Amino acid sequence: MSKRLYLFLLAGCLLLAGAPAVAQSQADIRINEVLVSNTDDYEDDYGHKHGWIELFNTSRGTVDIGGCYISNDRNDLKKYRIPKGDVLTKIKPRQHIVLWADNKPLRGTFHVNFTLEETSALYFTSSNGRDVVDSLHIPIGEGPFSVMDYIANDKGNQVTVKGSIPHYPVENVSYGRLMDGEDAGGANGWAFLVKTTPSSNNVILDSEAAAQRFKQFDPYGVIMAITAMSVVFVALILLYIVFKNIGRASINSGRKKAEKAGVAPDAVAVAQDAPGEVYAAIAIALHLYIQQEEAHDIENTILTINKVTRTYSPWSSKIYGLREIPHKQ
Amino acid sequence: MENQGFISFLWDNLQQFFGYTAFANFTFGHSVMILIGLLFLFLAITKDWEPMLLVPIGFGIIIGNIPFLEGLSIGVYEEGSVMNILYQGVRLGFYPPLIFLGIGAMTDFSALISNPKLMLIGAAAQFGIFGAYGLALLFGFPANEAGAIGIIGGADGPTAIFLSGRLAPDLLGAIAVSAYSYMALVPVIQPPIMRLFTSKKERLIRMKPPRVVSQREKIFFPIVGFLLTALLVPSGIPLLGMLFFGNLLKECGVTRRLAETARGPLIDIVTILIGLTVGASTQADKFLQWNSIKIFMLGALSFMIATTAGVLFVKFFNLFLKPGNKINPLIGNAGVSAVPDSARVSNNVGLEYDKNNYLLMHAMGPNVAGVIGSAVAAGILLGFLS
Repeated sequence: MSKRLYLFLLAGCLLLAGAPAVAQSQADIRINEVLVSNTDDYEDDYGHKHGWIELFNTSRGTVDIGGCYISNDRNDLKKYRIPKGDVLTKIKPRQHIVLWADNKPLRGTFHVNFTLEETSALYFTSSNGRDVVDSLHIPIGEGPFSVMDYIANDKGNQVTVKGSIPHYPVENVSYGRLMDGEDAGGANGWAFLVKTTPSSNNVILDSEAAAQRFKQFDPYGVIMAITAMSVVFVALILLYIVFKNIGRASINSGRKKAEKAGVAPDAVAVAQDAPGEVYAAIAIALHLYIQQEEAHDIENTILTINKVTRTYSPWSSKIYGLREIPHKQ
Repeated sequence: MENQGFISFLWDNLQQFFGYTAFANFTFGHSVMILIGLLFLFLAITKDWEPMLLVPIGFGIIIGNIPFLEGLSIGVYEEGSVMNILYQGVRLGFYPPLIFLGIGAMTDFSALISNPKLMLIGAAAQFGIFGAYGLALLFGFPANEAGAIGIIGGADGPTAIFLSGRLAPDLLGAIAVSAYSYMALVPVIQPPIMRLFTSKKERLIRMKPPRVVSQREKIFFPIVGFLLTALLVPSGIPLLGMLFFGNLLKECGVTRRLAETARGPLIDIVTILIGLTVGASTQADKFLQWNSIKIFMLGALSFMIATTAGVLFVKFFNLFLKPGNKINPLIGNAGVSAVPDSARVSNNVGLEYDKNNYLLMHAMGPNVAGVIGSAVAAGILLGFLS
């Protein structure tokens, strides 16, 4: 195999190694939103209001957080173990789950054994109790901060500043990501949200569907045709270039092997360029030579292809035979 | 009195039974669709037009258009019915990749590997997809539906089903039937276009016989081909992955049993299920609409555009090739895929002008490149419009 071929393979491997890998596991869980002071917000199943922590599954597969840990103490990552075996701990793709920070773990799976008033940091740890999957610094006592809201207009929903707070926490103002599970945007993507959204998207950026946008900008499909045809051509040109080189390498390799074996290079080229009919004729001749030795009408070194003729008789025809001819023992 | 009561009881039951029969619920639309199903069966059985596809689809159309009272879990759109369970393969799009697995396991890419420049013809013929996409937009279809309609021009039934299931599930029946119908009509649609755009001299061009391809090259092809195309268009992975995987099973030489299953029993089973359920999904109330007629018109146009683009591209390409290396433009039509019918059309039209000029093996190159090209195009449409 030529060096060029090895280089192509190496380039392919490097491309693969550089591609980001995404696994659907507990590592895909993110702390998404927290509400420290809850006086007029979301209620738990017991009708009580407490601070809450929202977790978000960023992956495209269901993730079970049973057995994982949530803590507000860096030195005690295993402070609250989310019980295993509860069907509700399975978070569906791109969905949320809310944990109640009420220090009443006996109330159920989703009630943790600490409150957020005493919390400046949160740690979500995987079920091995060692790997911190996500952590959050809650700016308790810090400020002033801008408070965000989103408004709807003809371009869809947009995030806007709506006043400020002197320090955090402020009643019923949550601290959450602007885009679910993402760190993009100002302040690492976190903001103080006047509209809390437990178990829902933090900010719903209502935008037109991709197809509608495409039709709006490309009403006759010209841009689509140019772009898509370019991609199709690029894909097949890449294949063309690669296989042209692989073909050359293969031919050269064949020649070298033939030279080593003492066959003239021209003979190899002729053999490589021989039409399919030649191979078919050789194959049939070899078949006849091996299977039917009586085909050699002159001598062993000459291959002869004779036309096969069989006299037709309705008695030997398969189409008239309804059953197998009995065998005489 | 008792007798009268029994008779009225019997009459009521008979009336109720009649209400359940198809006769009571029969409409003009159902009869039209059943006639279409019978026409498909006629064309498949007597004319031998794509019988493997048209027999299951034709019978499926008849099954899907026997009217019934809703709520009995019978229809293809009623959750929990047998037909609905079988239809999930179409709706969720897992039949088409399985068919691609079989296609990969039965396709010999040697012609393409030996003369890789033929790949570009497969790319050029995909213009039919985007030409039909533009026309569908002009006809007032939303972009996602236009994309699903455009893929008919890819002349690849599984790809059309896969894409329309994702982009426009409501049009799936019309698109699938249209795609398969025009694939069956390739010998009718393509030759006039091929003759129109070629001169007699061009039709007589003899191409160099393909060189012998080593097994190593054949093994490299599915691996490298998948990496290059899927890295560029990841949304095409379900189709491209299965196509190239099937081909690797065939060519690697150590998985003969798997390859035989993929190209034999597996593809047969999936073809039966996909044909029957696609046919059954053409219920009159959903199928007999103005949109379906428009889709059929656009489907025909997309095949014509694709064939024209393929033939003209070869003529253009020939301008840059040395005299001994020229390509016969009659193989340009094969770029639309429709494997292997369009390659057969190239061969037959070529033989009309030169009885010893067999173009079949040369046409198989753009033909299988068309399969790759249409899968890539489907991935692009899915990426842009979903």
